[in-house]
This record gives sequence, C-alpha cells and structure tokens, in this order.
Amino acid sequence: MTTVAADVTVRPPLGRTQAIGWFVVVVGLFTVFGMGVGTGSAPHSTLTFTPIDVSHGAPWHLGNLTLPTEWTLVLLGALIVALGAEVLVRRLVKGAMVRVGLMAIVFLVAVLVWASRQPGPSQVPFINVTAILVGSAAITMILIYGSLSGILCERAGVVNIAIEGQFLGGYLVGEMIDSATNNWLLATVGGLVIGALMGWLLAFLAIRYLSDQIIVGVVIVTMFTGLSSYFNSWVLTPYPNLNNGNIASNLAIPGLMKIPIIGPTFFDETGFFYLMMILVGLVSFALFKTRWGLRVRAVGEHPQAAASVGISVERTRYVNVILGGAVAGVGGVAFAAIQGQFTPSITSGFGYIALAAMIFGRWRPSGAVAACTLFGVSAYLAYNLQSYQVPISTEILLMFPYLITIAVSAGLVGRVRPPAADGIPYSRE
Amino acid sequence: MRLELRGITKKFGSLTANDRIDLVVEPGQIHCLLGENGAGKSTLMNVLFGLLQADEGEILIDGEPVRLANSGDAVRRGIGMVHQHFMLVPVFSVAENVVLGFEPTRSLDRLDYARAREDIRSVSREFGLEVDPDVTVESLPIGLQQRVEIIKALGHDAQLLILDEPTAVLTPQEADALMAIMRSLTATGKSILFISHKLKEVRHVSDVITVIRAGRVIGTVPPTASENELAAMMVGREVSLVVDKTAAAPREPVLEVRDLVVRDDRGLAVVDGVSLAVRAGEIVALAGVQGNGQTELVEAITGLRHVESGSVLLGGRDVTNRSPREILDAGLGHIPEDRQRDGAVLSMSVADNLVLNTPRRAPFARHGTRNLRAVRDNAETQVESFDVRTSSVDAPLSSLSGGNQQKVIVARELSRPLEALVASQPTRGLDVGSIEYVHREIVRVRDEGHAVLIVSSELDEVMALGDRVAVMFQGRITGVVDPSTSREDVGLLMTGSTPAESR
Ligand SMILES: Nc1ncnc2c1ncn2[C@@H]1O[C@H](COP(=O)(O)OP(=O)(O)OP(=O)(O)O)[C@@H](O)[C@H]1O
Ligand SMILES: [Mg+2]
Repeated sequence: MTTVAADVTVRPPLGRTQAIGWFVVVVGLFTVFGMGVGTGSAPHSTLTFTPIDVSHGAPWHLGNLTLPTEWTLVLLGALIVALGAEVLVRRLVKGAMVRVGLMAIVFLVAVLVWASRQPGPSQVPFINVTAILVGSAAITMILIYGSLSGILCERAGVVNIAIEGQFLGGYLVGEMIDSATNNWLLATVGGLVIGALMGWLLAFLAIRYLSDQIIVGVVIVTMFTGLSSYFNSWVLTPYPNLNNGNIASNLAIPGLMKIPIIGPTFFDETGFFYLMMILVGLVSFALFKTRWGLRVRAVGEHPQAAASVGISVERTRYVNVILGGAVAGVGGVAFAAIQGQFTPSITSGFGYIALAAMIFGRWRPSGAVAACTLFGVSAYLAYNLQSYQVPISTEILLMFPYLITIAVSAGLVGRVRPPAADGIPYSRE
Repeated sequence: MRLELRGITKKFGSLTANDRIDLVVEPGQIHCLLGENGAGKSTLMNVLFGLLQADEGEILIDGEPVRLANSGDAVRRGIGMVHQHFMLVPVFSVAENVVLGFEPTRSLDRLDYARAREDIRSVSREFGLEVDPDVTVESLPIGLQQRVEIIKALGHDAQLLILDEPTAVLTPQEADALMAIMRSLTATGKSILFISHKLKEVRHVSDVITVIRAGRVIGTVPPTASENELAAMMVGREVSLVVDKTAAAPREPVLEVRDLVVRDDRGLAVVDGVSLAVRAGEIVALAGVQGNGQTELVEAITGLRHVESGSVLLGGRDVTNRSPREILDAGLGHIPEDRQRDGAVLSMSVADNLVLNTPRRAPFARHGTRNLRAVRDNAETQVESFDVRTSSVDAPLSSLSGGNQQKVIVARELSRPLEALVASQPTRGLDVGSIEYVHREIVRVRDEGHAVLIVSSELDEVMALGDRVAVMFQGRITGVVDPSTSREDVGLLMTGSTPAESR
C-alpha cells in the first residue's frame, strides 16, 4: 500500500462548501426575517438562571434578564449570517463543520427566545437557562460514554456498532444490582463486566473469524435486545424487587456548585458525571500523548505497518474493544442511575447517536464532547419544547442529530477522515 | 553481521513461493537478489524479517540459529527492512513513524518526542539522510518517504538492511543518491540485501548477485556478469533488452490537449498551458523529472482531476472535465502511475480486476447481469498471454507479487478496443522479461494505429519507446524532440534550459 493519502479530489470541494455556506446564510436570514422582524416591538423574552432542584442549596442568585424578542432574534440571525459568510468568503473546507455546529447552537437559542416571548402562545413565560443545561447534561453524559467507547474501538480499527447493546446490558445489570444491594459502586462493576464481555464477543468474532464488524455489531445488539426483553418478562416481572432501584443522588461539590449556571450543571452531579469527565481526560491523554496511544492509532491506521515493527494487531484490537465495551457498559449503568426502572429497549437509540457524535467529533474525545453536547441539548429541547407550544413536533426535532450526522458522514460538511483501517479485518497472510 | 539462510521453504497453499533456499550474506556486503516477478523474493525477505514463518529451514545470524516469531524479534536481532510497499502511517509525523514500536518514553508512558527528534537527527547526521522529524509523512514526496523508511530501519541499529525494490519508485537522481547511501552504510560494516529489476544498477552496486526463479536459487554470480547473462538466468530464456520497432507512420491527431491549465491540491497551477497532440500510429513519450506536472496532466486527461481551462480532445470529441467513466468508454486506455491506489481493487479477484472498466459491457454482462463464465474465460486467456503468476484467477489481487499486479492492469488496458492509450510508468516494478513483453504490446497498440502517450521517469525507456519525446518542466512543455537527440540535450530540457539544436 502506498502511503499517499487516498483523497484524490475529483471535483473541487469548493462547490459543496459554498452550498453549505449559503445554507447557513439562509438559516440566518430566516432567523432575522422569519422569526425576528415582525414579532413586533412589544414581546419580550425572559431568561432566568435559578435551577429547579435546589435541594443542595441554590447557587448565588442571578436576576432575570429580559430581552426584546425582535432585536435579540435579529442579532442572533445576523450572527448566523456572519458564520455563513465566513465559510463563503474564506472558502473554509475544514472549518465548515465547526461553523455548522455553532449555527445549530445559535439557532436553537433563537428558537427558544422566539418560543418563550410574552405576550405569546407559550405557557412557560421564561427560559430557564440553568434548567436546560442541567437537563441536557444528563443526556450528554450518556452520549459521551458511548462516544468514548466508539473512539477506543475505532481508533484501533474495529467499528463498535454494538454500543447500543452494551448500554442495554449495562442498564439491565446495573439496575438489578442496585435494586438488590442499593449500591451504585457494585452496579458499576457489574455494568463494566457485562460491557467488557459483550466487547469481547464482538472482538472475538471480528478478529478471530474476520467477520464483517458492522454485521456482528448489529447481531449483538439485536440479540441482546431480544434477550433483555425475555429476561424482563421472565425475571423482572415476577420479581419486581429486582427492578426498583433508586435514582443515584447528586454529590454536590461544596463551593464550586455555588457558581451560577456552571455550578448546578457541572458540580452538582452524580458520581457517573464526574467519572465521565475523568474518562474524557484520560482517554485524550492516553490516545494522543502516550506510547500506548501511538500504537493503538497505528493499528487503526495501518495495521501492516504496526505489525512490521512487532506490534500485535490482534492483541491491541482485543484490548481496545474490551475496554470500549466496558466504558459503554458503565454508560449503561449511568443511564439506569438517572432514569430508573428497566423496560425493554429503554436506551432508545442513544448508542447510535453516540456513534454519530463520535464521527461528528472526528474520532477525538474533545470533538466528541462538543458533538455530544450539541446533540444532548437538542435532544433535551426536543423533549421539552412542547411546553413552549412550538409548532414543530418532537419527532421532527429528534431527527436533528441524525440529519447533522448524515450531512457530516456524507462529506457534505467539512472533511472527516476515519482511521484508515477502520472496520477492515486484519489477517497476517 | 553474517547472515545465513538454510533450506528456507515457504508455501502458500499449493504454491511453493520459496523452495529450499540457501543464501549467505557476508558482513559489509551488498548482496543482490534478482528474479522474475513472483519468483519469491519479497516472500523470502518477509520470512527473514519475521513477518512470515517459514515452513522449513533455518536462519543463522553469526553462525547461531535464531527464531524470528515477529518483526520485533528481527529488529532486536539487528535486521532492518524497507518494504516494497512502504510501511508508514501516512497521518503520523516522521518522528512518530520512526519510533513506532520502540518508543522512548517519560513517566506515565508519555512519548518522549524530544528524544525521538534527537535520535532521528543523529541518524540523519551520521548517514547524511536529511528529513524534518515533524512533518506528516503523507505530505512528503515518495523519495523522502523512502528516506524515512531507511532512517526507521537504521534507527534501531540495524546491522543487516533489507531493501525490497527501493529504486522502483525513485527518480534516477534519487536512485543515485540511494546507491551512495548504500555504499556508505557498507563502509561501516553493515550488510545489505538489495532487490531490484534494474540490471544496470544491480551490476553497478552489488558485490554478489543471487538469481532466483520460481522459488529456487538458480545460481550466484559476480557483478561482472553481463546484463544479457543475468536476464537469461532470471527468465530462463534469451531476452531482448532493446525495443524492436519500425519507424512510426503517424496519421491524424487522436489525443489532443490545448492550453491546458490544471491545479494541484494546494491550488498551484502545476500544468500551466500545455498543448500536445498525439497522432494515430505514434508513441509520444513524456519525459521529465517527477513532480513537474506529468502526474496532474495525466489525471486531467483521464478525468481524475478538474481542468481549470483549456481542453482535452479524444478522437475529435471534447472530453474536457468528463467523468472517468465517459472518457474510458470513449476509448481511452489508462495505466495509472499508482497501481494500488488508482489501478486496481486489491481485495477483488484477478478475474474481476481484469474487467474492472468493462463490467457492464458485453460479453461480461447482459441485461445488467454479470456473465461470470465470460469473465472467467477472459481472465484465463489474459493470465496465460501476459504470463501473470497467480495460483488461480479467483485469487485476490493482493496475493500477487507487485510485478504481477502491474501485469494484470496492463493486460486489462491493452486488451479492450482503444482509441488512445495513456500509460504512466508502465513498467515500474516489472522484471526484464515482462518489460520486454509490455514494450512489445505497446508497440503493437501503436502499429494497430492507435495514439499512445507514455509517461516515464526512466530516460532509457523514454528514448527507446518514444517516436517523439516531449519534455516537461515546471508545468510546461519545454521541447518536443526526436528520440535520436542526445541524452545530454534531453537532460538540459528537463531542467528548463534550451539546448542549441533542439527545434
Ligand atoms: N499472502 C499470499 N497468499 C498467497 N500467495 C502469495 C502471497 N504472497 C505471495 N504469494 C505468491 O507467492 C509468489 C511469490 O511472491 P513474491 O511477492 O515473493 O514475489 P517477488 O519475487 O517479490 O515478485 P516482484 O518482483 O513482482 O515483487 C507469487 O506467486 C505470489 O502470488
Ligand atoms: Mg516483491
């Protein structure tokens, strides 16, 4: 294999990028003229910052912020137009993706401002910024566990599409152990073990038998979905005591949690959230700063080259896929810890959104965190916008992460380059 | 280091790639392995480097039998290898590639980049191999990538260096530089196992030559043996090392480019106003130092790269910026420069690769359904007539030796109805017997009345094959000359100066 990058540019990618630029501009203009201008000067939108749950003590109080709806929307719209114009003028190819992400966030804010205007149809007369962030943080956390799992596997060249199944496994086992022992630490260990086992199964089939990794992954998810439903009706229904665990309680960090907005979002969370933050740092460090990470990435990019300097491709892949499974398993336990009772298919596709976020985040922990946050906030809003009487249905809003993912992975936005040997079975001879 | 191989045998299924091979490399020696495509040279080297396990035989280093379970073992024993297809991670930096597998670390398993850079610099200084440790490998030209491979091999204090066809992808200048490096390495007592199909350089640089055919050692000869003798030993018959062809009888232009401007990936105009007409019944050879726009010119002609301005005409039809599919269907044959990337699908069978650009045409498909019998029959015929060495036509292309992969592509392109043929480095990596065959086929295509454009960095090939020689320098054609022009004058044109008598 030659080492020259395989991206021959058949047509200049400029045309596509230009289309994206124009799209962003159009969204911006819509924000200005469709939502902004014409709402009139009367309506105002109010932002508040007091968290809903103040059982650990409220952060320092911030007053409400009342904004004129029309001008705020014009401003936000102009910001979006500027992002699009930047893509067009500077002919951004790589940076286009980040701009689209920013556009999505600003646009979401604009929708909120517009929806909460008073007088207006909304039943909720204000936007609780802190509540939105706190609510989104839970979803985001789950997604990040999934993305980290995906990164660990794919950086070594194995596609882990079974994250959804590992979530489900971790959820079921975690919930049962917590119900029985009331101990989230034990539950975490249980989830870690089941996730690792499922990772091992994927690795075994993909590495030993060189099976198509995507098919094996889908089979594992399907199998485990069936298995857990069966288990649910045969064990959990007759013994409901095994399925009534508590929601994990928050461990507020004194002092830090007093900071408005940031405190409740980041420092008044469950242990799973803190563990996730530690894992993000750890995975970033290990992948990009250590010898271990260099070897893993070599295996994912060019396994023959790795083998030619004595690195065991098989072993590296086994270790990483098992590690990835374990992380997703713990993610499943975290899911149970915020959601409670197990019901069949309770993970409702979060494993796949996590995988999408990993792609959007370009196979990097930091990028994945950004993408998961975007997806987490939009998923949370999708579930909660109804109360604002927004005339868009939840289902449509829930498609949002997937639309972005399709745009990204089809190469419509920027350029994503997966590890070169991602998903390709490796054999020695 | 003294290396001895005793009775090495390696089988792939029913195929015996290495058959009881004995070989001795003395310290400070440059030992050349010569053999046809598929003779088993790379296989033997992979066994020696621990990448493959021999079925029989033993390896002795300084008289002591060793077991090399993987290439880590080989490296620890002082063996370094530069592979025929480079083993570099394109997205890694030079430093990362060089230290991979033997990384210097600080606490917490952190990579010690400072030491890695320092190690590379000291190897660079010691052997005169300059390269920036911090650039990513994919941004380097192929000659420098190879330099990285050599540094990588030397970095682990190799006493025996395996060079598997290192010069195939190099320009003549780069090849000369490599020879000098090889000399300086053996001067310090290192041994080199060198594989090449270029008899001239083999005779020039080696101390001993071992010839292998069909997996067996045929004989060991000194470098004083003549090229004809060596060729005959390799192939087992007399080989003509010159191209026989009659004078061309050119007719109307078939392949024309007019005022072509093409930009590279960085947006520079690397083809800058090129006009060239290739007439039916003639071979135009495009000479030039690699990187002067030849690659991009060919990509533009074949539809692989966007044409900024100007036009490409094929048989009088304007095919500028058409898709490669349309251009191929209009009758352009294309043998690409990078066979593994643009010419073939390595994971597909030999038979499928032989119909890669005509899968929808009769007889290979009817009513949108593939006719597998026709595909197979075609493959059997082509494999036979081009002497492709493969265990079966159903074997994946990746299992063929480098030279045989190239033959598959040449066979495919030369065996379908053509208007014009564009061939980039058509004999890169081929053995002398195959070169003879491919050259003859190219002349045949010409004699059938087609237009042929050859791009080659081998001046010998350009002068031997071309009916006219066009020289390219910095994106422009600096002259079109007769092949009887002296090599010095062509050389001058290649550097942009104009010799007195060129027209
Ligand atoms: N992994 C493999 N599986 C099956 N057959 C193989 C494999 N690798 C090599 N071969 C076969 O072994 C024979 C020797 O191949 P090898 O690559 O050693 O040839 P070579 O002498 O290096 O040729 P070239 O000059 O073309 O590089 C060929 O016939 C090839 O098809
Ligand atoms: Mg070879």
